[in-house]
Amino acid sequence: MSQLLTMLKPDFLLHHALYGSVVMGFVCPLVGVYFLLRRLVFWGVALPQVSAAGIAFAFMLQGFGVHLFSGAESQEKHLAIIGSVLFTGLSILFLAVLERRGKGVSEGRLGALYALAWAASILFVAWNAAGETEMLGLLKGEIVAISESDFHAMLDIFGLIAAAMLLFQREFLLVAYDRDMAVTLGRNVLLWDVILYLIVGLTVSLGVMTVGPLVIFGFLVVPPMAALPWARGMMSFSLLASLGGGLSALAGFYVSYAYDLPLGPVAVSAACVLLGVSWLARAAVGLRSRKPASSILAKA
Amino acid sequence: MTEPLIKFKHASLGYGKAAVLAGVDFEIAPQSFVGILGHNGSGKTTLLKTVLGLIPCLKGHFTSCGAQSGPPRFGYVPQKERLDPIYPLNAHDVVAMGAYRKFELFRRLRRSDGRDLAAHCLAECGAAHLARKAFSDLSGGQKQRVLIARALAAEPEVLALDEPLAGIDITTQKALLNLLGHLKEQRRLTILMVSHRISAERGLFTHVIWCDEGEAVLGPADAMLSGEKLGAIFKTEL
Repeated sequence: MSQLLTMLKPDFLLHHALYGSVVMGFVCPLVGVYFLLRRLVFWGVALPQVSAAGIAFAFMLQGFGVHLFSGAESQEKHLAIIGSVLFTGLSILFLAVLERRGKGVSEGRLGALYALAWAASILFVAWNAAGETEMLGLLKGEIVAISESDFHAMLDIFGLIAAAMLLFQREFLLVAYDRDMAVTLGRNVLLWDVILYLIVGLTVSLGVMTVGPLVIFGFLVVPPMAALPWARGMMSFSLLASLGGGLSALAGFYVSYAYDLPLGPVAVSAACVLLGVSWLARAAVGLRSRKPASSILAKA
Repeated sequence: MTEPLIKFKHASLGYGKAAVLAGVDFEIAPQSFVGILGHNGSGKTTLLKTVLGLIPCLKGHFTSCGAQSGPPRFGYVPQKERLDPIYPLNAHDVVAMGAYRKFELFRRLRRSDGRDLAAHCLAECGAAHLARKAFSDLSGGQKQRVLIARALAAEPEVLALDEPLAGIDITTQKALLNLLGHLKEQRRLTILMVSHRISAERGLFTHVIWCDEGEAVLGPADAMLSGEKLGAIFKTEL
């Protein structure tokens, strides 16, 4: 308990990492609800890996002496962001175009993309051994070492993403639920798809840069799954998923800090515990609301 | 003379470059109740999708003109199986989507306006008691009432229904047809209804479009549903 209180104090040494994790926990599920509803969960597996491949590609370019920005540290970071956003954006464009055509096997495409991204990540690192340490840190999630400026940039971007998801919820829902109806109501479905995909791309790229692909996939998918059985409308679904994500991130940080464990895997495990509790509670509620057989027989 | 609401002239309709219907040439007058009939795969849904603007007309001309300049306001009732049951929406939420036309970006209606409209449309379709029930838990007939209410929330001039009676028992079919007849009179609607069978609804149609062998022909319901005509279409004596 005392460790929890220490964590919540403003002068806590890792307060940027704590707040950053919790903000990520709140915001990722707001985007993730559409992965679940549009049945694009496997996008959540493939895109973070693609983003990681983009970062590995950026490290490889630096290894080959490509210099686009001044300053060693900022150059490394900026190139990594560009690599991550570019790879994720192009992959989303590729997947979205094929999805709209409706031909081929969607899961097969995602599986191939995931395998390619994983292989490319390893090859890009192999061509630049110096990037291996950075990549290892990335895969574990480096939010504990987040700098003041990165923390504020992350807050700004995640704040914008959260605002957009809540402000445009009506449009995203209509286009996802019934595209034909959206067209007859005069909505530009392509525009709203592009906006949602841009937000997905930004969330995945930024998330992979700060907490790693495992945590991003976990928080895009697991809290919405835990919230779905309890949701009574789109707004309650989004808010419950977001709350579950934020609390899982907080619990994960506490366990990680108290027992000196890696943050990313612990946070994802906390979200999975929440999912298990949600399913068990739902099953218990279902059993309680079911009428006993004896009362049905008595009525008959 | 009344201006036609929908007009096809030498039109070819289909997907990509493949025409499903060719030589489509007819006009639909306001406040008609038009049955779009034909075998499975005969192009009924293709015709409806073209009217709704979901797919472009491949060749020829297609125009639709509402009371104000521009195309008419459509209320669309899709096949209920097309809507994914994973969405955590109740009947009221589904109906409220029909009112989204009014929600311009950054200039939205008050929430209560949307709620009132949805509640009113549900009540008009005899589904007020379903408002708080999960849409995915409703029966086929209840879902159709909710989807018709959603289409009404769009304040349409044209109600377009795709196989609204499929998979629904006879009693509920009759109740839904009564509702449609009532709505047509009350709201002075034009109704386009796709169906692959002819039974209880034939008495409501003012006109029928037969889709068959790559053609779509419109005529008065009496003539189009005569034994002689049906015999020619089904290639059997009726």
